Amino acid sequence: MGRILGLVLAGLLAVGVIAAVGYSVIGRFAPQPIQTVSVRGAIGSEKEPFFRDPQVQAVFHKHGLDVQIDTAGSREIATTVDLSRYDFAFPAGVPAAQKIKADKKAAATYSPFYTPMAVATFKPIVQLLIANKLARDEGGYYQLDMQPYMDLVAKNARWSDFPANTAYPASKSVLITSTDVRKSNSAAMYLAIASYVANGNNVVQDQATAAQLVPKVAPLFLRQGFTEASSEAPFDDYLSIGIGKSPMVMIYEAQFLARATAHDRAITPEMVLMYPNPVVLSKHTLVPLKPNGDRVGRLLTDDPELQRLAVKYGFRTNDQAAFSSYLKSRGVAQPPQLVNVIEPPAFEPLEAMIAGIERLY
Amino acid sequence: MIPRRLPAILAGLLAALLAGLACSTGAPTSSSTTLTVLAGSELKDLEPLLPDLEKATGYHLSLNYVGSLDGAERIVNGDRSQLAWFSSGKYLNLLQANRSRVVAQDPVMLSPVVIGVKHSTAVRLGWSGNPDVTWADIGARSKAGDFHFAMTNPTASNSGFVALVGVASALQQSGGALDQGNINVAALKDFFSGQALTAGSSGWLADSYVRSQSSLDGIVNYESVLLSMNQGNQLREKLDLVYPKEGIVTADYPLMLLDRSQRAGYDKVISYLRRPDVQTRIMKTTGRRPAVPGVALDSRFPAQVLIELPFPSSLEIVNKLLFTYLDQIRRPAHAVFVLDTSGSMQGDRLDSLKRALVGLTGADSSITGQFASFRQREQVTILLFNSRVYQQRDFVVNDVSSSSPDLAAIRDYVGSLQASGGTAIYDALESAYQVAARGQQQEPDRYFSIVLMTDGQNTAGHDANHFLSYYGRQTATARAVKTFPILFGEGAPKELNQVADTTGGRVFDGRSASLNSVFKEIRGYQ
Repeated sequence: MGRILGLVLAGLLAVGVIAAVGYSVIGRFAPQPIQTVSVRGAIGSEKEPFFRDPQVQAVFHKHGLDVQIDTAGSREIATTVDLSRYDFAFPAGVPAAQKIKADKKAAATYSPFYTPMAVATFKPIVQLLIANKLARDEGGYYQLDMQPYMDLVAKNARWSDFPANTAYPASKSVLITSTDVRKSNSAAMYLAIASYVANGNNVVQDQATAAQLVPKVAPLFLRQGFTEASSEAPFDDYLSIGIGKSPMVMIYEAQFLARATAHDRAITPEMVLMYPNPVVLSKHTLVPLKPNGDRVGRLLTDDPELQRLAVKYGFRTNDQAAFSSYLKSRGVAQPPQLVNVIEPPAFEPLEAMIAGIERLY
Repeated sequence: MIPRRLPAILAGLLAALLAGLACSTGAPTSSSTTLTVLAGSELKDLEPLLPDLEKATGYHLSLNYVGSLDGAERIVNGDRSQLAWFSSGKYLNLLQANRSRVVAQDPVMLSPVVIGVKHSTAVRLGWSGNPDVTWADIGARSKAGDFHFAMTNPTASNSGFVALVGVASALQQSGGALDQGNINVAALKDFFSGQALTAGSSGWLADSYVRSQSSLDGIVNYESVLLSMNQGNQLREKLDLVYPKEGIVTADYPLMLLDRSQRAGYDKVISYLRRPDVQTRIMKTTGRRPAVPGVALDSRFPAQVLIELPFPSSLEIVNKLLFTYLDQIRRPAHAVFVLDTSGSMQGDRLDSLKRALVGLTGADSSITGQFASFRQREQVTILLFNSRVYQQRDFVVNDVSSSSPDLAAIRDYVGSLQASGGTAIYDALESAYQVAARGQQQEPDRYFSIVLMTDGQNTAGHDANHFLSYYGRQTATARAVKTFPILFGEGAPKELNQVADTTGGRVFDGRSASLNSVFKEIRGYQ
């Protein structure tokens, strides 16, 4: 039956082509697509695979929306991207969303899912860190203590400085690879953690404190040299190039879990996840700029299918049980309870620190 | 070409149908959409893959090859190509800063830039199978005169660029990324004192190494190029691949989307290229490593962990490194220009020659122009000829500022050129070799090369054969000086090719490209 239909269609198509009367004729024989309106969003690259998923697109289609996305760093979305072309902005973190909300006088924001910051690393590195009292085992996951880590960075310690280190005797600095702090949210969240530690375990509240902390936190970024604008790139390098390029990479937990649950062979047994202590949650926050953008935000928050699909991409939703049971169903260990969770600074002090670091580049 | 508004499902059917027709008839797939790609010449080896890519995706990639730096500059200046594909996107990324023209980019394959060392040399120096060799060790052997290597010009070719970034990062010894203040000029000078061959392209460098393999000890190039040299049958001795311990820099060949409206095509092409089976095929045919996880490396690649060195964070640092390389680090050049001022050059031809040479004295303010211009410590000899050969004029460049009297002297001399008389090409070229030989005796540390620019047949003096037999009688040192003829006007392609082949040089075509761009390109070989 399908074959006959195919032949008929093919015949019609051939006629259309030979007659060379263009697609308008062919179009008349086509089934009418569902009427959808195009909605355009500027999003952080970490959500690109989610938005490009045909199942996600199908849910939006069902509601008459054809969601088109462009990716950019979250700070770029908040500062340099021309948002007049877009129906919504969907940066990865609250500070950038706050800024866009204030600039564009948006009435509301949506936070349909979140993900903790995490450090993707390798077993030999973790063993080295544990031996040197920087990390702890948390049942298949690990915790990285940020204070002693930052002390090492302040001394510009090299991997080869660790005693009896045969696992990774590189003369490179001990340094977490991050994205470009001038552009991307995941690096800004790293800065949120580092500035909290550097500020005597306090969230940076004001610009004066922010300015004082710049010299302490800047080396974390400057010493890396070239950094990528989007959080997908360093994680891709981690997966494909591995320990030689990036022994430790600041990522979103979701990036790692999405690949681990997919069982696509990207995550090898050597690859493990550490949580920084303290840790920051990156709350993906959608700022509607036009009415159709608002509909996208509402659907992402309320539609059970979209919430379920978000979990498939490693994100955590308000339904903690759904997250846990999905991991279980995919044979992935449950992450440890995150206790020392801190808030990122507000946009202004965070921006002041980023601008301060930017001046040192 | 399918109208983009056609519903996707029909487009798919139509494409499948026409692809089927094309298969049976062998005709080109008229249903394919062409995407224009500004590409690095290193990507030529992927051409055999493109028909299958087209079959699978419905997109035909039309590759337009340019040099890496030239390409980056074109993109920033608004080149209309829909995609770009180079061995590295980092220089472009730094160049465009916040005015990004790159909508999306994904790495397609990986190749670290490493050193191929002639096996007997590797054994002699204790480097064979030794994982602890450092860039500093290689620098020490270069300085001692024990190691002579080939590497491309870092301002013309990405493999040289990446190698320079790597060796400079390693030798500054801070553990972090290179910074403006910590370029270790002395250590870099030691390292590059062993550079015995330069070139403007990685492929040409490999060919040139094969030709000069008896007098060279090694070659800096992409791992993929070195692997394919070892697989070929032109090397008398295999190369041991040395991955210096401080680390290396890897090229990741990103495909970049420049034209936002071609997103759908980009997505299809990149998904195809990153498919595991296609990645395996790329690895097998090009010797480059897969850029996606889960594709196993074949046995040609060493199992050791390759430490990746950080790349500098700003254009200022990279440019400072490149200019420091040209002005202070590299072996200073002695460039001999043999210029035809016969009667046929009168008018436009002489004018464009003058413009091209004046462009090298700082008048060309483009990025490629700045890197191509005469640099500190360089000696320039201009040798004019028509029916006879004129007295050489020597210029030494020490000051490269815009108000430099050194550069002004070259500009003034070039400005005064006049055309008349016949064409004694080979007498002039013979004189040029005498100039170079005298220079080699006086200043053996310089890097010598000859550019021969003529627009016609030899009409006076001795002929090509006379020159070739003269060349054959010179010492090995003198014969190492290559001639780069520029084909122009009615120049004789066959004879000039023979000159290039015999001396190990390369012919540049000034008929299809402007003399400006030809002279800039030649600078990569000087």
